[in-house]
Amino acid sequence: MADLARSGLWVMRAIYVAFCLLVILAHLLPLDTLPRGWAPPDYLIAFTFAWALRRPDYVPILAIAGVFLLADLLFQRPPGLLAALVVIGTEYLRIRFAGLRDASFAGEWIAVCVMIAAITLANRLTLSFVASTLPPLAPSVIQMVLTMAFYPVAVLLSQSVLGVRKPDPRQAETLGARA
Amino acid sequence: MAKDRSQTDDYATPLRRLLLAVVALVLFGVFLIWRIDSPRVERFRAQVTDRVVPNMDWAMAPVTATINLVRDYQSYQRLSDQNRELRNELRQMQAWKEAALQLEQENARLLDLNNVRLDPRLTFVTGVVMADSGSPFRQSVLLNVGARDGIVDGWAAMDGIGLVGRISGIGQTTSRVILLTDASSSIPAVVQPSGQGALVSGDNSSAPALDFLESPDLVRPGDRVVTSGDGGVFPAGLLIGQVAADPAGRLRVRLAADYERLEFLRVLRHLGTEKIEDPGSVVVPEALDLSDVERPDG
Repeated sequence: MADLARSGLWVMRAIYVAFCLLVILAHLLPLDTLPRGWAPPDYLIAFTFAWALRRPDYVPILAIAGVFLLADLLFQRPPGLLAALVVIGTEYLRIRFAGLRDASFAGEWIAVCVMIAAITLANRLTLSFVASTLPPLAPSVIQMVLTMAFYPVAVLLSQSVLGVRKPDPRQAETLGARA
Repeated sequence: MAKDRSQTDDYATPLRRLLLAVVALVLFGVFLIWRIDSPRVERFRAQVTDRVVPNMDWAMAPVTATINLVRDYQSYQRLSDQNRELRNELRQMQAWKEAALQLEQENARLLDLNNVRLDPRLTFVTGVVMADSGSPFRQSVLLNVGARDGIVDGWAAMDGIGLVGRISGIGQTTSRVILLTDASSSIPAVVQPSGQGALVSGDNSSAPALDFLESPDLVRPGDRVVTSGDGGVFPAGLLIGQVAADPAGRLRVRLAADYERLEFLRVLRHLGTEKIEDPGSVVVPEALDLSDVERPDG
């Protein structure tokens, strides 16, 4: 039984990484080479937060770091910066909120919004601090807001399609014992 | 509630904190190294792209093709409208074609009269666009030709008509083209009838701005913008586009290349323009004699 649970855990971790690779691949499709005045939501951040707040054991730190570093490298972003911010942000959310099963979704959403805003701000501040070129302001603000708006959709998709739900109390006990 | 607390504590074990600290430090380290020694990390980035993206190509190519197929189908629905438009355009084009033929003959005659030698070494490698930058903040595409095919940083990439961008970042089998619309792209150019020098600098909009014009009064919307070849990076005379004025009155370049759909790009082999470096020395009689002696029949 424990073995089954353990292999299920690794399957879900693999699904997380595979899903992220799929999102990166979709971004790289050469469909839209004209510059746009807006930016789509950062799907990777939304899904990572949704998973980390539901089943922290599905998204280990190393997987998040690897996925976001790869995204940084492939998307021509400053490598490592956003990855580090997302890893720290996810870990903070995980420590603060992952245990609170009975917390309302609204509270969770607000916390995630604050964290997304903090990551965007920290990203820009760090870039300006090291005197690097900043991404244009308007699209980054649009991206931040759209990511916040997309978060409930990410939660819904993860819960209904990928089956990432908060563990019920009985499961939580065994989980707690394992962690 | 007590149970929750204990779970929280479990997740915040010292080991976990240590892992977090190490991972965060490593990532920030990568960022700092990138900031300090950018070329090295950019080479690493090109290598990673070179390893990863061709592996995804088997999945990306069919998806891209399917989506383009759907878009084409949507355009079929407007077929009759398009047909009418095309027929109108064709009539205009035939007039232009006549003009072009006459101009071509005239041009050939004039070139002949002037004894002009066009650069015979300007050949090209054609590559297929594999991926775009994936980020709304950077404008670039990835080609499936790289160091293996002899591509060199800085070479110009064109579609059939106009300049598209410049090579920046080369892997073994892939290379990245920074498009003219990218915020970090600026190309020295000449506005054609008036011969004004300017800089075509991208700003993440679909029409790059025309900066550093000497006298903007001499430039009108509709003028042709071509590369000037200053700086020796690009060959001179590649078509970039036409001047247009945006609503704010700022001069921009409407690009000649079809940015809507970049599929095949030509990378121009440019072996550099030769430079004359020494100012020339006085011709002394000895040198004259020596050259006379060395001549076989002299």
